[in-house]
Amino acid sequence: MKSFLSLKYLRYFCFIFLSFCFVQVFGQSKVISVKGKILDEAGKPVPGVSVVLKSTTTGTISNQDGLYSLPVPEDAILVFSSVSYESQEIAINKRSVIDVTLMPSNKILNEVVVVGYGTQSKRAVTGAVASINNKQFQDRSFSNVAQSLAGQVAGVNISQAQGAPGSSPFIKIRGVSSITAGTNPLLVVDGVPLENFNLNMINPQDIESVEVLKDASSAAIYGSRGSSGVIIVTTKLGKVGKTNVSANFEYGSQKVTRQIKMMDAQQFIRTYIDAKNNAWIDAGGKATDGNALRPTLLKIPEDFLTNPQQFGTGTNWQDVMFRVAPSYNGQISVSGGTEKTQYMFSGAYLDQTAVLDMNYYKRLALRSNIKTAVTDRLTVGLNLGVTTIFDRTEGTKGKSDVISLGLQSNPHFPVYNENGNLGYRDPNSTWFRFTAFGDMNLWHPYSLTREVDKGTKSFNTLGTAYLEYNILKNLKFRTSLSANLFNTRNHFYWNDKQKYGYSAVLAAQANAGNSYMLNWLSENTLTYDKQIGDHSFTGLVGYTSQKQRDETMYVAANNFPNDLVHTLNAGTVTAGNTTASEWSLLSYIARLQYNYNSRYFLTAAIRRDGMSRFGDNNKWGYFPSVSAGWLISDEAFMSDIKSINNLKLRVSYGVTGNNQIPNYGAISLLAASNYVYGGTMSNGLRVSNIANPNLKWEKTNMFNIGLDLGILNNRLSGSIEYYNSLTRDMLLFVPVPDITGFSSQLTNIGQMRNRGIELNISSKNVVGNFNWTTDFNFSRNRNKVLQLGPGNAPIQYVDNVVTVRTEVGQPVSNFYGYIFDGVFKNQAEIDAYPHHASTTPGDPKVRDVNGDGKITDADRTIIGNNQPDFIAGMTNTLSYKGFEFSFMLQGSYGGEIANNNIRYLGTWDNGRNFYASMYNYWRSESDPGDGIHFKPNVSYKGLQKQFSSYWVEDASFLRMKNIRLSYAIPSKLLNKIACKSARVYVNAENVFILTKYKDGYDPENTTYGTTTYSSSMETSGSYTSGNAPVPGAFQGVDYGSYPLPRVITVGIKADF
Amino acid sequence: MKKFKHILAACLTGVVMSSCSDSFLKLAPVSNPNAETFFKTKADFDLASNAAYATLYTIYNPEGPISYMGELMGDNVTILNISGNMADKWQFRDYTLAPANTMVYQFWQDFYRSLYNINIVISKVETSELEAASKDKIKGEMMFLRALYYFNMVQIWGDLPLVTAPITAAESYGVLRSPASEVYAQIVKDLQFAADKLPLASAAGVGKASKGAAQSLLGKVYLTMGDKTKAANTLKEVVNSGQYQLLPNYTSLWDPKNKNTKESIFEIQFLGGSSTAPFSDYYLGFFPNSNALGFYGSGMNQVVDDIWNEYETGDSRRVASIDTGFTDAKGVFTKVKFPKKWQDKTAPIIGQRIAANNNFMVLRYADVLLMLTEATGDAQYLNQVRKRVGLPEYGTAAYPSKYNSIELATEHERRVELAFEFHRWFDLKRTNRALTVLPSKGKAVTQAKLLIPIPNVVRDQNSKITQNAGY
Repeated sequence: MKSFLSLKYLRYFCFIFLSFCFVQVFGQSKVISVKGKILDEAGKPVPGVSVVLKSTTTGTISNQDGLYSLPVPEDAILVFSSVSYESQEIAINKRSVIDVTLMPSNKILNEVVVVGYGTQSKRAVTGAVASINNKQFQDRSFSNVAQSLAGQVAGVNISQAQGAPGSSPFIKIRGVSSITAGTNPLLVVDGVPLENFNLNMINPQDIESVEVLKDASSAAIYGSRGSSGVIIVTTKLGKVGKTNVSANFEYGSQKVTRQIKMMDAQQFIRTYIDAKNNAWIDAGGKATDGNALRPTLLKIPEDFLTNPQQFGTGTNWQDVMFRVAPSYNGQISVSGGTEKTQYMFSGAYLDQTAVLDMNYYKRLALRSNIKTAVTDRLTVGLNLGVTTIFDRTEGTKGKSDVISLGLQSNPHFPVYNENGNLGYRDPNSTWFRFTAFGDMNLWHPYSLTREVDKGTKSFNTLGTAYLEYNILKNLKFRTSLSANLFNTRNHFYWNDKQKYGYSAVLAAQANAGNSYMLNWLSENTLTYDKQIGDHSFTGLVGYTSQKQRDETMYVAANNFPNDLVHTLNAGTVTAGNTTASEWSLLSYIARLQYNYNSRYFLTAAIRRDGMSRFGDNNKWGYFPSVSAGWLISDEAFMSDIKSINNLKLRVSYGVTGNNQIPNYGAISLLAASNYVYGGTMSNGLRVSNIANPNLKWEKTNMFNIGLDLGILNNRLSGSIEYYNSLTRDMLLFVPVPDITGFSSQLTNIGQMRNRGIELNISSKNVVGNFNWTTDFNFSRNRNKVLQLGPGNAPIQYVDNVVTVRTEVGQPVSNFYGYIFDGVFKNQAEIDAYPHHASTTPGDPKVRDVNGDGKITDADRTIIGNNQPDFIAGMTNTLSYKGFEFSFMLQGSYGGEIANNNIRYLGTWDNGRNFYASMYNYWRSESDPGDGIHFKPNVSYKGLQKQFSSYWVEDASFLRMKNIRLSYAIPSKLLNKIACKSARVYVNAENVFILTKYKDGYDPENTTYGTTTYSSSMETSGSYTSGNAPVPGAFQGVDYGSYPLPRVITVGIKADF
Repeated sequence: MKKFKHILAACLTGVVMSSCSDSFLKLAPVSNPNAETFFKTKADFDLASNAAYATLYTIYNPEGPISYMGELMGDNVTILNISGNMADKWQFRDYTLAPANTMVYQFWQDFYRSLYNINIVISKVETSELEAASKDKIKGEMMFLRALYYFNMVQIWGDLPLVTAPITAAESYGVLRSPASEVYAQIVKDLQFAADKLPLASAAGVGKASKGAAQSLLGKVYLTMGDKTKAANTLKEVVNSGQYQLLPNYTSLWDPKNKNTKESIFEIQFLGGSSTAPFSDYYLGFFPNSNALGFYGSGMNQVVDDIWNEYETGDSRRVASIDTGFTDAKGVFTKVKFPKKWQDKTAPIIGQRIAANNNFMVLRYADVLLMLTEATGDAQYLNQVRKRVGLPEYGTAAYPSKYNSIELATEHERRVELAFEFHRWFDLKRTNRALTVLPSKGKAVTQAKLLIPIPNVVRDQNSKITQNAGY
């Protein structure tokens, strides 16, 4: 906050204050009477045209003959508008007769699109911008507006990695442009660029439109942060006219429809016994040998052998942890305005119970957007959104979180033991007999959900205050000050002993954390419009500064006397720390938009960014772009071709950057490393990373060419895009030889290419009383690494055994491992083929990839990649009178998913439960099973625990993403209750999915997030998250995930 | 128009004023110290050398490289259930190590990261303005640590990239494996410097490397190099320094109340009782992989019957070294053998771990005495060790006849005296007995397997690095 008080800002505010002083009120001018005739293109009179004095509500309407007349000030401006014609503004200039010819409006071309630092008509767009408006997601039951973009926008791959309420989807715009730097697109909310902002903080129903800036020329105005694309979210503002009160209530029900098929108790027991016997036989024993003869590791519970039937089918832990969960969502908004002042106030409350036991998500979102013209020249406004989220979300952290642990738990244990406790570690339970075996597994879901008191409370305030001043008629100055203040608190208390349901009997423990973030932004722009004949110019220059500070706090305690008090004061504090971290950014922007006759368009822009994260020698970077458009259909020579309504060619080229690296990535940091001398601890400091004063921006150059087409009265419209982007100076944590003392260094190295095509088609199949439209989009992206670090050494990351490898000539992050060609059915097959020395019949057949007759590390090869060959979406909407029915299909083809849970559930792993799919494993030469699943074995054989094609599955899917039915209640019924309009609707999300991914919940599941660098990583001196060294490299690795529930919602929406 | 000029001027001033702020973009880390201003004062170097000592926690961790090599590849222990990547861990026990083994790579990283922490102190102190005496002490201590690590590494991998100063990534591609003889030459050079410059144990400071520590290690290095004369001379200096003696009670050597004794020559220092201090993980690390008692044993180095049977009747060291089981909450006793030396009965359990207070001795006087017998063939040193535990002396009639040479007697004595202290495999290798002893215990060991593979990641990154024969 110190900087706010600095001299610089004092001056800044003085300047704003002065700007007010310059404001001058227009003088009164003489009133005259103006009349005229309004005609259409063909010269026919147009009745019903509204003729209004600009910036007032005074006006009139043209009569049957197209005639109008009204008294007006002699220097005023008249606005002529009508539904099917383009509006016109005409200055009176002391004339008394003004005849007007209106041109029919081309709706598509005149829609307004929000671009960086301004808006444009679609006609003038020269880059690749996709726009989604409120109508396209108004009935969808999402907490995050980005979720509703899935399947709707070509070139934008939105995947819901985790199904928990409030989980943000991963957004990839036109492929992956970085290997180790962050790849999240920049989010711009009401003009405020925010890095890694949680869009759940904006109530989707407050959003007017979402624009996706896909190509470099559109995104270049956001310069250094644009290379993963930009998503612009614009909230609603009231429209001139009568106040509108809108109310909406929804009830929803969520259900997990796709469980992972796990073995039941009988199957598990048999597999467990076989795994032990197979190992014992390998060691020279006999399957019939009793426990007395066996080593500890191979002993089998007597119950399993003598009376397995007592366990029945056992417990399906998924039935225990998942439930059908309701949700309620209600909101009220009030909007409206006069020519001078427009406003929108809204309040919304979402109360969602999660499908996972004890989990919930509650959000209160309040918004106030207001804009007022203080004088004809001066407009001020304030957008303020305050959001509170209370949630408890578990199961998304992978292998050691509730859901994965539930799957790993043995099915023969009951939900409650005879004492009402949860687990077999209860010393007073007969189940305690199983503690004699080290390979019994139970992480009872309730021991983590009901024996734990936890939750998170988040508070977000995002406010933008702005002032616009028309210095001259065409010259506008705008200044804004924005702040995003985010606070989150979490608490955790684990009951003493957890009712014996956890893998250990633990004493009570608790912790609490708090994090704080303040991001402020000051923007100042000057915009100049000029029309000279057919030439029109818009110029923009600006200067912005932005700074963010993050702080964290953490306290832990134990030694609680009992479970009565869960706050930390009841125990003994054992650990605590606080951290802080900052970044800052200064930018200069300039843009010139030119068009000739609204037919030829040219845009050139440049941004200069300086950022604290980069090395002293390279803090600043330039990001230029240029683009052009040609509206061919407006050419005279096209006027004969009636069937073509719209034909436009767009070409663009630009440079964008990526700054998503750790805040102090260029600086060599020291980390604590303490030692003890004679019973006293002495502080120590070690160098935790290598400095790089030359660290600079990662840059992406992108070329884009697009063609828009509308034919048959725009019944069929669409666009096609081709792009080619080259990322260079990649911000890479390059693995360096460990003999340096470090395993990686952040440096600018390497090149990568993304190129692809995108196709959008929109067709009005049937029009009339019955309407049927189809919207289809298709995109494919090809990613290829062109150059890497010294010697182009491949970059390889390993999590458990799952290996992702990035090498030149290949797409980023290939899965890399052995190929399993089924199972060796007998000794003869083994003898006839190269095999790992430990191989016995029933063990995996590993392919000798390099053909050297041996199975070695060199036989590992590329076995998949998560990036799809193409993605597509199709929405069909049918409407008849008040009914509207639509359904959306979303598909992804050609990617693979690596199932890291195979480690626990697809092979023997210390007695954890198994996938039911592997039950048909090799049992003997005469009972060889399905030929895919090798025999279970406590002593692993033949590379079964190594990463292989056995772990990789096809991630292609076709999903019925959404089905929606709505009915608009006829207005004659509504009039009686003073209701303008009302709709009832039913909406279903994630209705069904067709996929080959059998042993996971969903082919979109990914356990690790996209790469982001948080301040807590800074202070720990390690830029890793969980087990994955670089989480972004592990996209498409499922290491325990949350299923995507099916959600069915019914709702009613009414406007008064 | 005049008005417009005013506004434009104000506007531009605003822009210019705010842009004069490169300081706005120069942000120093808030919660991390920054290396740019470090390595200047004596206090800085103390902090940095403390961090170098702290690398001992990694290298001598119960699941660290010396434990895996010294015990698991020998015949004292096995592992059954163990957390983490079990298959890769079993490969050490079974002599089936592959270059892709994740633990092998982990150990490689552990060693070279630790060496960086040492090398940077040595190189920075050289050019610092510290007074000569301080410089020599810091350098001597760091060179002792560097020698200790390279000595372990050269026995584990053979030829090695020899890094003795911080190097850049670009330079590192040119650093290939030096022959083992060059690595030994560097070790000897470092230890001679340390032995020359470091004070005696009594003046070195608790926990610090001393002259005696350098000499003891140098003696072991000479033995390993096959130079018994130099070894004997160096080790005798340790004996003659008068700094060290055997404690009367073998069991009390690991007592947390009895740290840094007269028998201890180089000891890794731990502080128990709190999760924020570096506590001792050895008992926990070697406890069976069970959580029956409220803490989670790792299951490392589970004792096999072969060493249990190695102890002579009446050797009290067996009970002092090996636990035979544990009793769970319900009073059920589980029979399982595991190392006991580092037990701290009064330590609190914090977050499923025992925050124990025992230190770990890397070098102790009994080791020196036994090395002296190995170097000289003179049983008097060995017999001092036996006398302490009241066992018949070598050469007397009561001495077990099966150890019928001084070499076999030394081998036997080292095995039981130094059990589970990470010596066994190194001893067998040094005395060229590994290929005789280990196969008889069912280990599939060959000459080539006495060196572990260079991790494949290392060779993927720099293909000029060679692989050991047999991998």
